[in-house]
Amino acid sequence: MDKNKFEFVDQTGEEKETIRPSLTYWEDAFRRLKKNKLSVIGFVVVIIIILFGVVGPYLTPYTYSSQINEYKNLGPIIEVHEVDGKYFHVSKDYNMFLLEEDGTLIERLNLNPMDRDMINKIYTYTLGEEEVILDFSYNLLPNKQGYDYDYTIEYNGEVSKIPSGNKFNKLFPFGTDNLGRDLLTRVMYGARISLLVAFVATMVNFFIGVIYGSISGFEGGRVDNVMMRIVDVINSIPLVIYVILLMVWFRGGGLMNIIIALSSVYWVAMARLVRGQMLSIKEQEFVLAAKVMGVSKRKIIFRHLIPNAMGPIIVSMAMMIPSAVFTESFLSFIGLGVSAPQASWGTLANNALSGLLSYPYQLFFPALSIAFTMLAFNFIGDGLRDALDPRLRKG
Amino acid sequence: MRSFYIKRIISIIITIILITSLTFTMMHSIPGGPFTRERPVPDEILRALNEKYNLDDPKIVQYFNYMKGLVTFDLGPSYSKIGTSVNEMIESGFPVSAKIGLIATLLIVVLGIPFGIISALKQNQTIDYVVMVLATLGITVPSFVIATLFIYFFAGKLGWVPTFGLSTPASYVGPVLALAGYSLSFVTRLTRSSMLEVMRQDYIRTARANGLKEFSVIYKHAIKNALIPVVTYIGPMIAAILTGSFVIEKIFAIPGIGRHFVESVSNRDYTTIMGITVFYAFFYLIMIFLVDIAYSLLDPRIKLKEGK
Amino acid sequence: MENKKEYILEVNNLKTSFYTHVGEVQAVRGVDFKMKKGDLLGIVGESGSGKSVTALSVMKLIDTPGEIKQGQILFNGEDITSYSNRKMSNLRGKEIAMIFQDPMTSLNPVFKIKNIMTEVIMRHQKVNRKKAIEKAIEMLDLVGIPEPEKRINSYAHEFSGGMRQRVMIATALSCDPKLLIADEPTTALDVTIQAQILDLMKDVAKKLNTSIIIITHDLGVIAETCKDLVVMYGGMIMEKGSVEEIFANPQHPYTKGLLKSIPRMDREQKERLLPIEGSPPDLLSPPKGCPFSTRCPRVMKICKEKEPPKFIAGENHLSACWLLHENAPAVEGYNKGGEAVEG
Repeated sequence: MDKNKFEFVDQTGEEKETIRPSLTYWEDAFRRLKKNKLSVIGFVVVIIIILFGVVGPYLTPYTYSSQINEYKNLGPIIEVHEVDGKYFHVSKDYNMFLLEEDGTLIERLNLNPMDRDMINKIYTYTLGEEEVILDFSYNLLPNKQGYDYDYTIEYNGEVSKIPSGNKFNKLFPFGTDNLGRDLLTRVMYGARISLLVAFVATMVNFFIGVIYGSISGFEGGRVDNVMMRIVDVINSIPLVIYVILLMVWFRGGGLMNIIIALSSVYWVAMARLVRGQMLSIKEQEFVLAAKVMGVSKRKIIFRHLIPNAMGPIIVSMAMMIPSAVFTESFLSFIGLGVSAPQASWGTLANNALSGLLSYPYQLFFPALSIAFTMLAFNFIGDGLRDALDPRLRKG
Repeated sequence: MRSFYIKRIISIIITIILITSLTFTMMHSIPGGPFTRERPVPDEILRALNEKYNLDDPKIVQYFNYMKGLVTFDLGPSYSKIGTSVNEMIESGFPVSAKIGLIATLLIVVLGIPFGIISALKQNQTIDYVVMVLATLGITVPSFVIATLFIYFFAGKLGWVPTFGLSTPASYVGPVLALAGYSLSFVTRLTRSSMLEVMRQDYIRTARANGLKEFSVIYKHAIKNALIPVVTYIGPMIAAILTGSFVIEKIFAIPGIGRHFVESVSNRDYTTIMGITVFYAFFYLIMIFLVDIAYSLLDPRIKLKEGK
Repeated sequence: MENKKEYILEVNNLKTSFYTHVGEVQAVRGVDFKMKKGDLLGIVGESGSGKSVTALSVMKLIDTPGEIKQGQILFNGEDITSYSNRKMSNLRGKEIAMIFQDPMTSLNPVFKIKNIMTEVIMRHQKVNRKKAIEKAIEMLDLVGIPEPEKRINSYAHEFSGGMRQRVMIATALSCDPKLLIADEPTTALDVTIQAQILDLMKDVAKKLNTSIIIITHDLGVIAETCKDLVVMYGGMIMEKGSVEEIFANPQHPYTKGLLKSIPRMDREQKERLLPIEGSPPDLLSPPKGCPFSTRCPRVMKICKEKEPPKFIAGENHLSACWLLHENAPAVEGYNKGGEAVEG
């Protein structure tokens, strides 16, 4: 053993515990939020949906109410038959359409009532001077069974039995509804309405709830008791019932009415939450310090208590939005929503219900929009909850 | 304990009175509404209404008449369905909704709780991951999306179930799934997180340190604690499910009480709206009451006091 | 030739780590000690020294992401190192028992004390429920719970902290274990209750001839209760031996530091209480050499390079410090020149 190893060394302190620069609560939360992949995806989706709703309508040539009756109930994907250089499509209600090669609709063919042979199941359409013959007797008439195809299209002597392909509906990417309105545009407007209702209702609920809850929690004692009693009574039946009653009372729908109805009821959850937060925060010493220094009640509530309670409040708001989207859709779905021809996603879903089996796309686009929006906000909410949880702080 | 019962029952009665009064005031204050003589109404209805509640009487008297009826559980005649009373509508609709609701509740308890426990015990393994993904979808995808997707695929495309109504046993699958979807997912997630939380507790470590068999540690010591928040959730959930979802009954054309409510809203059948609202409120409050009792049985730390 | 059965517990080169997503946290880095039957052993150290993890390792209660990396544990001559959980559960509560720091959270809130205790008793002994209840009442009486026949029907939350700890002790001792490990048994209690609980433990130990290990950060508790002592720091043992020896003649800078930082009756009134500068080592990347080297007032070059072996510093007294090596400079208070030994 080397003797000089046994010399004393100065404690240079180089190995003192390195102190990482500490982050503030918000910086730390933001950092954690960024790491959460799902909530980042959620944010991106929400931004896309907002752009979709806000900017989208300007990019389409239609409005939400413009009807083009010839093109009603056409889906986003069109089955096309190529016959002698021309492209045709037959819809479920036996309308014949002429299209470009890429799927853009050109026109609907004319069909004289007299040209409908119902016995032989043959319809003869006119394309200018020429004729296009649809024979849909196959597999229908008793003497024409066992065929691979259900109809043929004859034009200029050529017959097409099997569709030559599927093309995207270039004029109406999401298809059209039963009144010939462009579904894409309507879904975009629907985004506007659904999101608008959700955001405004949530903001109003936030304000009412925070103020109510802060006063109740801060004052404590009898004031708190009374205020919470009122909340308890309101809460004793499902809030949806109030909204429905309110909507009935307002005698029907309309954007304003829905917003008012949603805003007047759901604040109770926020109030409860805020009150709970207040009760626990106000016992902490920095509040006592502020009181002792003579800070006014209002200032204490707004400058000290509320900022410290913001964590759960923000999470709650993030979760209120999808809930509001759902409730609004649900109201529209049962007929209490915005009035026609305006449409929220719920109204679109409602309209599509009767034609579900024939034209499922009419329901799927609004329904999926609702689902995606709710999913995205839920991810954001989950991410926020984890990010803002002080127990998980590492920074 | 007894004072708890009494105080709670009084509280329920007061709430019902408040709710009823609220709905009464709202329905009666609609200008040009149903309960004034101005509205053109079919004679039979007017007669029926007048029989029960003299529309010429001042509002207060009508109010008391309604409340009197309430005490005898009489909710008056339907406003739009001639000759039918609100009670009849509830009596015909509720059992239908309840049947589906009970099946859904059974599904939720029998699937949700065990899967939540399994997920917690096998945390971060494949099965946990799968269950959690499904549960997240179940929570975020709205019930009517589930319902319509179900109809489209299983009824429309595959033809395995009828597209509407409750004719065959198979026809129950769609409504039950759509009704249970959200709550099943919620219960699974709740059970899982509750279980995880409980497994971390010191008293579980104590149980192991005392040499108890692992089976007992999990299925006796942990579960009883973990189920407490789940029971709290399930109570109101049962009430909501049993009274049927408006949307689901509409989509599947089920003649339950939810659909009656929706129809009464569309038809502006005010007496029915009022009646069903009061019924819902009453039912819901009773369920919460039962849950609070169950909760106190599970957790000895809770001493039942007045109110909640 | 040592009779293995002389020692109730033998721990050889125990290494336990926690494999977290930030890395491997080496909580215990090579711990050896032997405990004689009937002994009262204290394990002292700061938070993070590895004392609790050592105890949990002995009980095989280390759960993922933790794992016993290396080492051997002999209980009463039996090698329990590779025992499965099932096999261990037969030992726990019956042969080795453990009580924990916080009595407020260590009892299951939804069960009556009666059920908690009888379940343990019936698990390990072939008795019927009636007998189990009798035994439980007997134990509650032993630990000083008044009216045990009545209080056995209570729930945990109906007891005060001190009472709950007594219940824990009663449960732990109900099957007459040979070894009781008490992890910070009095830390969460009032000072006055502390004394009662410690006396109770000493008492019971004598009556039932149980060996006891007390884990604590409080030297006062050690002085009060224990015969032998192990001082831990940074996951390793710094010094071990009899309490009397070590208190009178500490041979490790850390131990000396600990003793200087507590008020003592036998000190000059004017002497200051000296805290030990610095903070505990980061167990994710522990320093090379002696774990105390970063804070030691007498650190030498070799301390930062090589882990010191254990030197004999007296009768039943070992210290892991390079200052005791014959090549080290002579420092007052350190008897250098002793032999280096294993374990």
